[in-house]
Parts: sequence; C-alpha cells; structure tokens
Amino acid sequence: MSSTFALARPRMRKGTGMILPALVLLLAFFVVPVALLLSRSVTEPELGLQNYRELLASGTYAKIFFNTFLVAGLVTLITALLAFPVAWALVIMPRLLAGLLFAIVLLSMWTNLLARTYAWMVLLQQTGLINRTLMQFGLTSEPIPLVNNLTGVTIGMVYIMLPFMVLPIYGVIRKIDPAILQAAALCGATRLQALGRVLLPLAVPGIASGALMVFVMSLGYFVTPALLGGTSNMMLAEMIAQQVQSLVNWGLGGAAAFILLVVTLSLYALQLRLIGEPKGTA
Amino acid sequence: MTAPYLHFQAVRKTYGDVVAADRVDLEVPKGEFMTFLGPSGSGKSTTLYILAGFQEPTSGDIQLGGRSILPVPSHKRNIGMVFQRYTLFPHLSVRENVAFPLRVRRQSQAEITQKVGRALELVRLQEFEERMPAQLSGGQQQRVALARALVYDPPVLLMDEPLSALDKKLREEIQLEIRRIHQETGVTILYVTHDQEEALRLSDRIAVFNAGRIEQVGSGQHLYDQPATRFVADFIGDSAFLSAEIESVQGGQAAMRFPDGTRLGAVPLHGAGAPGQKAELLLRPERIGLSETGSGETAALEVTITDVTFLGSSTDVRAETAWGEGLFVRLPFSDPLSQSVRRGQRLWVSWEANGAHLFAA
Repeated sequence: MSSTFALARPRMRKGTGMILPALVLLLAFFVVPVALLLSRSVTEPELGLQNYRELLASGTYAKIFFNTFLVAGLVTLITALLAFPVAWALVIMPRLLAGLLFAIVLLSMWTNLLARTYAWMVLLQQTGLINRTLMQFGLTSEPIPLVNNLTGVTIGMVYIMLPFMVLPIYGVIRKIDPAILQAAALCGATRLQALGRVLLPLAVPGIASGALMVFVMSLGYFVTPALLGGTSNMMLAEMIAQQVQSLVNWGLGGAAAFILLVVTLSLYALQLRLIGEPKGTA
Repeated sequence: MTAPYLHFQAVRKTYGDVVAADRVDLEVPKGEFMTFLGPSGSGKSTTLYILAGFQEPTSGDIQLGGRSILPVPSHKRNIGMVFQRYTLFPHLSVRENVAFPLRVRRQSQAEITQKVGRALELVRLQEFEERMPAQLSGGQQQRVALARALVYDPPVLLMDEPLSALDKKLREEIQLEIRRIHQETGVTILYVTHDQEEALRLSDRIAVFNAGRIEQVGSGQHLYDQPATRFVADFIGDSAFLSAEIESVQGGQAAMRFPDGTRLGAVPLHGAGAPGQKAELLLRPERIGLSETGSGETAALEVTITDVTFLGSSTDVRAETAWGEGLFVRLPFSDPLSQSVRRGQRLWVSWEANGAHLFAA
C-alpha cells in the first residue's frame, strides 16, 4: 500500500508542473489586471467607495443592472425550454440522425459570432426577411420591431447560447437508463407524468449547470446586445465599455466589472452548494 | 368453456429477417407461477416485452381476462414488472418509489400510506422506507422494485431475470421470498430466466423456449421425466447423450444399436424415427448406476472410469464408452461403490429400460 503511494506521488508532482504555463498566463493576464481594475475602482478619481455608491444609487445604472439580469434570465429560461427537447432527441434518435442534429447544434458554435449576429440583423430588421414574410401572408400590416430592442437581444442570444445548454443536459440524460422510463410507464405514468416526475428531476443537474453557464455568460455578453439591442436597454458589458472607452472613467467601469465578477462567483458558489459539482459540462 | 386468464395466441415477432418469437401459443391460468426458460435470444424476453407493451407483435394476439391487451398502451395495462436492471427512481426514497404508481393514479394520501405500508411489509423492508435507492444493496433494490410492482394489485406480474445481477446465495434467499410472496398474494407471475435451477425452484409450470418457439410446457418434473425434445432434455437437469442408430420402431418405442454393436430393445422414442436413422440416447446421471457385472434385468453398457469427484452427498463419476463417448454417473453416498470406485476401472453402467430416452436426429 505505502509503496504504491510512494510511487504515485512523484508522478503527481511531475503532473502539477505541467499546469505552470497556463497558471502564469492566467496570473499575468487575468488575476493581475482584475486586481488592478479593482484597485482603480476604489482609487479613481480619489480613494474611497464613491464609484460603488454612484453605481448602486443612480437610477440610470440601476436600470442597466435590472436590464442585464432581465436579459440573462429570459435567455436562460428560453434556452432551457428549447434545449431540453433537443437534448432528449439526441439521446433517443437513431445514431445517424442524432449525429446530424449534433453537427447542426455544434456548427452554430463554430461559426463566427459577429457574422451570425449581423445575419440576425438582416433577418430581423424592419425590411428584413421575417417582417417581409409576415406582411406578405397578411399576418401583420406593419413591420414588427424585432431589432434594437429586448426582443432582438433575446433572440440573438438564445441562438448563441443554445449549444451551451444542450450539451450539459444531454450529458446527464444520456446516462439515464431507458429501463427506468419503461418502469415508469408500466407503473401507470403517462408520458407527461414520466417527464415531470422522473425525467426532469433526474435531468436537474444538467439543466442547472447549463443554466448557470448560460446565465453567467449572458450577464457579461457584449457583441450581441451592442448590435441587436437598443440604447434604452443597455447591458452591463456595454456600459463598462462605454465608461472605459468613451468616457475614460476607469473607476466606474472597474467597479461595475467587479460587481459582475462577484455576482458570477456567488452564483457559482450557490450552485455548488445546492447541486454539487456541475456534471456533463466536460 | 371459459376463456383462459392469460392467453398468448400465435404471437410472432420479426425484425427484418430475424424471427425473435414465432407461434407462441400459451394459456396461463389465474394465480399460476409460469416461467419462461431458455437461452438468450430464444424469444422469452421478446414475448414478455410484447405483453408489457414495449414491443408490438408482428402478428398474433395476447388476451387478458378474455380481452386483447394489444390496443392498450403500456401505462394503462396495469401490469407489474420487475426488471433485470435496477430501475428504482434514483431521486425518490424507497417509500416514494413504492408510492409512485399510486400517485400517478391520483389515489388519496390515506390510501397511499396504507398500501405502501402493506407492500413494504410484504417484502419485509418497512424499516428502509426513508432510504434512497443508492443506499440499498442489489437484493434490497429488487425487493423494493417488487413492492412497487405489486402495490397496485396488477392482474399479472412480470419478472425479467430479476436476480441475474445477484450472487448465488442471495439469489436463493430471494427466490424463497418470491415463492412466499406468490403464495401470500396469489398473483399470476410470468418469470423469465435462463437458469434451469431457478425455474425448477420457483415455478408451477415452465415453458421452455428455443429459437423463438416454445418447445414444451409443463411442470418441472414433467419436463425432466418426459422431455419432448432433445433440447428440453438437455436444458432441464443434467444429461449425457450417446450416439445410437435406430433398428426398428414399434408403438413409441424403438430398438437401437450403439456404435460398438451393443443392442438395446424397447427404449422410449421421441420424434419421428425410422430404422437406420441416427439417434441420441439420453442418460440422466442420477438415474443410472454402476455395477461390477452387467446384470440381466436392466440395460447395461461397459465403460472405463476416467475421473472421480467426491462432492459430499454424492460422488460424480466420469466414464468413457468403448467407442470414446463420455457420460457421467452420480452415485449417492449410500452406494458402496461411491467409496471404492477408482479411475481406470472397467465397470458396467446400468439403468431401468424406461429410464433412458431416445431422440431421433
């Protein structure tokens, strides 16, 4: 017993050495800048918490925070509703069809983000394909405002986030023994009861880790809200960019970034507490 | 004449060119413990899955209480089932697992509490009701699954090799439990297994499956004493087969000759056999004896002893015929030869004339 440990330990130490480059990279380009930003948020324009006070007290910034959480929440909810059937289909479909579906889901992830967002602009605008089609069939007399507002941001982000929700849910329900669902059916459960009482509860860890990932990514999203959103529903990342780039207000921008980081870490801690280590994210 | 309780009528299931079940005709009376016995791929599980509603037959019908169940979806068939794999709902406690069928039937809490209590008492797991499935042993999980399948009083209980994942000792323990539960509840049981000992231990009757068909149905003793086919003879009980050739046939009996020319008369013949046809003679190791001289009254064959294994209550003796085929003899402890038999000895194997069966090839 002890000899195996003696053999295993040096090998483990050798393994830890390999993470050094990544560690250095993260330290130099993430931890240090974050620390610097944090320090600027409490030192500019003068020492103190005035930046945080301003962020939390002002109605303008409160609205941005609210809007950020609203978009992230909406996107998470809609993505989960759309992703669950897709994940289930991936599990039960014949191999070839499932492979095709998988490719479609992943393909969107591998296409350039900016290109995809511009494509949505083309589709969603006043004279875009969607509005023209709707008007042609007489479903609406005037173009529906689908872009430069909450609708546009939500549609664009749900589309981008879908794979991040599908994969963890798929990872969890793939491991559920189909015989358990057969047992539920023989016990008298209708399809809906089997879904609500067995499949969904068993899929909770996957849904939770997918939801956390999508929510957190949505909180800090920049490109899609900037292109598809309007000025009246600005999100936090846009505000930070504006503060830093246009107004050169590093203090306020840093404070907002720090609040975002704290919210993210708290959510992660909460999930660890409630569900345990996220599964199926690998 | 009243319709049988559970009636399989010419059930057939094919997957493309593969015939999984064919011409399955079977009547099961209410309260019977019926076992489907056969090797894997013999159609026994397919037949059970059709009854459960997981698969549809290509043709044929299954009637329960005089009505076809095929148009009824699984969740409305009211059938109970214990699966080969552990299928307890992992997120529910033992109590909630057993309560599940009643909850989806929207029964009252009072009813649920009472029925769950009774079902857990039946499988003797009352004190485990708060546990989660992952905290139970395999045997306990299958007993909870049994309680879950019985809690709604199903007209028939299906068991698909429920003990195959358990070790031998535990398996025998739970077999006794299943027998007791069958006696206490009087539920009609269809039990699938590939283990003949398990089938003999549990069943009122056994249906032996082979290559998609039922070869024979009967009590364990009937199948052992009167096997209809060589397959059944081979599958039920221990057996040895010796090559033979049919010399003449008369009224279900045949005269035959071994390869070395030894002749036997009036052996029960199974299957259509004609003079000159090859056949195989079944000898049960516990139905044949050894002696130092071939006695006149019984059929006998001279053999050479090749191996002797002492097993406590019996001694297994392997022997070889003059033409090199093997057989074995199980000598009871009370037989004086069981103490003295040695490898290399030349002895006579003997049996009652009707203790052997001839199967035409």
